[in-house]
Amino acid sequence: MKKISNFFSTFIGLAPLFLILVLWESFSNKPSPHFPAPSYWLQSIQQIFLNGILINSIWNTIWTFLIGLLIAASSGFILGILIGINSSIKEWTAFILEAFRSLPPPVIIPIAVLLMGYSPSMKIAVISIATLWPILLNVIAGVSQISLGVIDASKSLKLSRKDMLLKIVFPSVLPFYILGIRVAIPLAIVITLLIEMLTGMIGLGGIMIAGQRNYNSAQVFGVLVIVGLLGLGINLFSQLIERQLLKNWPPKKSL
Amino acid sequence: MKSSVLKGLGGVFFFLLAWESFIFFNIVHFEYLPPPTKICKAWISLVQQQKYWLEIGHTLFASLLGWMIASIVGILLGTTLAISKRFRQFSLTTIEVLRPLPGVAFAPVGLLLFGFSLNMELTVICLPTLWPILMNSMVGILNLSKKLEEVASVLKLTPTESIRKIYFPAAASSVLVGLRISLSLAVVMAVVAEMIGNPEGLGYAIVREQQAMNPNDMFAYIFTVGCVGVCINYVLSQLAIFILPGQFLRKDISQSI
Repeated sequence: MKKISNFFSTFIGLAPLFLILVLWESFSNKPSPHFPAPSYWLQSIQQIFLNGILINSIWNTIWTFLIGLLIAASSGFILGILIGINSSIKEWTAFILEAFRSLPPPVIIPIAVLLMGYSPSMKIAVISIATLWPILLNVIAGVSQISLGVIDASKSLKLSRKDMLLKIVFPSVLPFYILGIRVAIPLAIVITLLIEMLTGMIGLGGIMIAGQRNYNSAQVFGVLVIVGLLGLGINLFSQLIERQLLKNWPPKKSL
Repeated sequence: MKSSVLKGLGGVFFFLLAWESFIFFNIVHFEYLPPPTKICKAWISLVQQQKYWLEIGHTLFASLLGWMIASIVGILLGTTLAISKRFRQFSLTTIEVLRPLPGVAFAPVGLLLFGFSLNMELTVICLPTLWPILMNSMVGILNLSKKLEEVASVLKLTPTESIRKIYFPAAASSVLVGLRISLSLAVVMAVVAEMIGNPEGLGYAIVREQQAMNPNDMFAYIFTVGCVGVCINYVLSQLAIFILPGQFLRKDISQSI
């Protein structure tokens, strides 16, 4: 019963969106160069779907996004732990990390274009560098918040260095790590689209900007919807994984 | 404390030194990676040009204007959403669906509607910066505890007084966090909009120097963008402390776009 009412409230919540789309459809002067009606969006999507460009672009965007994020997530974790547990490295690198963090991620793209040219590896490099900072800084913060009591406990239990990492450091860093990845995911989507828009490389951003250049406004709006659905899907999926990973967090206090 | 600052600065120094010497001794070879000294020289010559300051001014103006529009709309919408349950019921899912739409995706739409102009830049700035402000003001008001209402009624405050003396200060810290996240976002989005569309400002300057194969100036401009972001953030956090003395402002690691 609750599920049905939940579904119903979600549906009601979507009402303004439907209303806008319906009004748009009925009042726009059909294939206008500025505000084409939603039915034309579908047509243009169907067109690029049929000649295979759409699927190709979606795959390209998702793959580069995933690989870039994966590189950033793994290297950010390892680097973060290394910097976090070693206080002298932390002190020496604090300002450098802070400086890189304050740099807006999109400006990495022109640097990468100059240094590496237009190539898929450039795309992946930019995504992983841009998303590295939130993950790295969160992991460092996670290591530094481990309470001294826990560390003392591990010492009195005479844990080996490996055991200490596996049993103390990793579990207590995990929520911070996941927080970092949660920040990094939308950033990675944005950067992926931006690179494709700036360089015109194949991908969702690429076909959007191509549509704009050809004054094919229906295609732009259509791809915008697909990008929105993609963002929503990735968002929901990451929330699902997060909930699974943090199922036992915070640990139940059984005293 | 002091030694950690020294070490931090030392780290930056060694980083720059390593960069400089790698290029000087040809250890890494990138055709277009200039050493820091050359970037510094390019920056010094840029500072003396009027063009440079106009470009900074344009980016600042666009991002502040966009941020202001987004904050007015965001705070108003957020407050209405928090106050009226019916309104919330009817639009929260729509907001949840629209929120993950990446901000850059609006750049081609803005270009279609407005061409290469300031309006396009404002579109790209306003839409993504709206969400943090909207959500934070809504959540800030929704999370006010019931006790505050009781305090207001015990003290027999009039509605305007209770808004001014109780609700506003209680929700303000959350709203300010949203405003701060949005401001740093606004600068980034302004640069992005200038990179893709509007041929003015710092973002365009970066792309222009990149296409002119002029890496010295490009790195100088990138350095400038970083500085602008840091300065604007600093000013806003000082303002926040001035407006809400004693309030603890959450340091936000999240600079999502």
